[in-house]
Amino acid sequence: MIELPDLVVGGLAVGTLSAFALGGGLLRSRRQLAAQRAKTAALRAQLDGTTRAFTAEVEHLAARRVPAAARQVAHPHVAVPGPLGPQLAGSPLGLALEQVLKGLQAELAAQRTRIDAAAQAGMRGATREIQAALYRLQDALRGLQQRYDDPELAQTLFELDHENEQSLRRAQIAAVVCGAWVGLAREESHLVDAVTGGQARLAGYQRVRVHNHLEAGTALVSHAVEPVAIIVAELLDNALRHSAPDTDVVVNLEAVRHGVCVTVDDAGLGMTQDERARAQRMVAGSEPILLTELGDPPRMGLAAIGQLTRQFDLSVDLSSPSPYGGVRAVLRVDSHLLTRVDPAALPPAASAPRSTRRAERAVPPLADGAARASEPAPATASDGSEPATASRKPEPPSTTADDHGYGTDQDDHASAPAPGHHGPRDSGGLPQRRRRSRATPPTDAPAPAPAPQRRPRRPEESAAALGALQSGTAAARCAARPNTGAVPAVSDDAPATTTADGATDDTGRGRNDHEGGTAR
Amino acid sequence: MTGRRGGRPLVPAYLSTGGVARPSRAHLERLSVLTGSGEPAPADLPAAQAALLEELEHGSLTVVEAAALLRLPVSAVLVLAADLIDRDLVLARPPIPPARRFDPDLLKRVADGLRDLKHR
Repeated sequence: MIELPDLVVGGLAVGTLSAFALGGGLLRSRRQLAAQRAKTAALRAQLDGTTRAFTAEVEHLAARRVPAAARQVAHPHVAVPGPLGPQLAGSPLGLALEQVLKGLQAELAAQRTRIDAAAQAGMRGATREIQAALYRLQDALRGLQQRYDDPELAQTLFELDHENEQSLRRAQIAAVVCGAWVGLAREESHLVDAVTGGQARLAGYQRVRVHNHLEAGTALVSHAVEPVAIIVAELLDNALRHSAPDTDVVVNLEAVRHGVCVTVDDAGLGMTQDERARAQRMVAGSEPILLTELGDPPRMGLAAIGQLTRQFDLSVDLSSPSPYGGVRAVLRVDSHLLTRVDPAALPPAASAPRSTRRAERAVPPLADGAARASEPAPATASDGSEPATASRKPEPPSTTADDHGYGTDQDDHASAPAPGHHGPRDSGGLPQRRRRSRATPPTDAPAPAPAPQRRPRRPEESAAALGALQSGTAAARCAARPNTGAVPAVSDDAPATTTADGATDDTGRGRNDHEGGTAR
Repeated sequence: MTGRRGGRPLVPAYLSTGGVARPSRAHLERLSVLTGSGEPAPADLPAAQAALLEELEHGSLTVVEAAALLRLPVSAVLVLAADLIDRDLVLARPPIPPARRFDPDLLKRVADGLRDLKHR
């Protein structure tokens, strides 16, 4: 009986112990569970926060950062805002979001270029057609100008021609901005012709004063003629547009060390520092042109200048203000784009201002060609006010000009006839009408020299002289009337007829016979 | 003298007169003869007028001849010449009328009259 309770007690004790042990374990595990629950709750809360932050970040990206980044492609001054949470800046998420913006910008830029290129191609095609049509119209108008000289019709034709030139300039500019060729091949031409031609393409060209200080014969190589005309036209257009209508725009053509400068000065408002910097950037032509950047309506002038300066190796400077208060634009044409055209064989256009340098240039030909100069030297010097007497004198000016000329046509002048001779120059084998020269009397006869200096008689003077003769004969006849009875029949109609009638009655019979003959 | 060696002229004609095509004098014609008056040209003469005056230095020219030499239309030269005439720098004479044929009828009557006189 004793064993049994012991056994029982032992069993109970074991059971109790194990119950305690189990209870302890249970308690511990329960505590652990509670702790984990709390941790899970905390983590969940944190996760919720993070998700909210992430969502807010993405919303911020979509609402603010992406549009700003897209705008930044077109307008670099637009700032893209940073992420909402500043701690995100260096984190992987921040970097990933940055990547999103970068990719977007790259793709947008590519699309933009593609779309612009398509627009430019379309515009190029359209303007090319328009340009060709306007050139045909120009031909027709000039043909009509040659054929008809009725003043009213001529006035209309002049106006139409001017309108046409302006339209042509617009079409040409648009084509050039879109990367097209200038659209017209020209011969080597006088630089002053290119400048004057550019001037003619503008409304208000009458306000432009061109001063030509170049050697006569300074010309542009053929492929530079039209670009220079376009650039000058655009610079002048800016100058005319931004200055008061009662001010002049002054153009000076001057030779510089390595070429020629065309300076355009206006007396307008001028540009601010920023505008000037932007204009200088445009005309430098270093950045590709996008139509979408030119504004609406697109301002193409400076962009076209930029294209041309890049293509033709010209340079335009807008960085300095003009002493007249406005803008000074300087187009520099380097000497590799210059050549010489003999001004005697191919004179510049009649409307192009003659060089102011002829006074200096008239001196050397007088020194070596004194024998042929029938008029006194001061007369030639006073010719300074009348253009290009020196430039039209045949060869000596051009040979002297070669000394500091651009030296591409040397052999051309070497084959030219001797100075002082109006020999037939190369005219493609066709007979050429030569101008009659006043200086043709033989050099060994100085006596006839004063003769050409006699002033031509004005019509009024001739009329006065003949009238005096007529009234003299009439008076004489009146005096003679009492003596002879036969004369009055003649003297009655004498005032009505030409003086040849009276003269045949008078002493001048032989001298005036032929006049009476032709008058009948 | 047919203008440029080829291609179109750079400088349009209206520039020579500043866009004016109505001459200040109506009596000028294509064949009017222009002569320089020998007066010294003022320094402020427009380029095209100066060019015309310079052509006339070498002798008298008709308006069409001057137009051909200056490569301008006649209408422009008429304006230039009229302006120069107004400034007494150029003289103009009316064109010489073409010689007219004698009226054969008149000649016959004169011959008849002479014969009549002779026989009288």
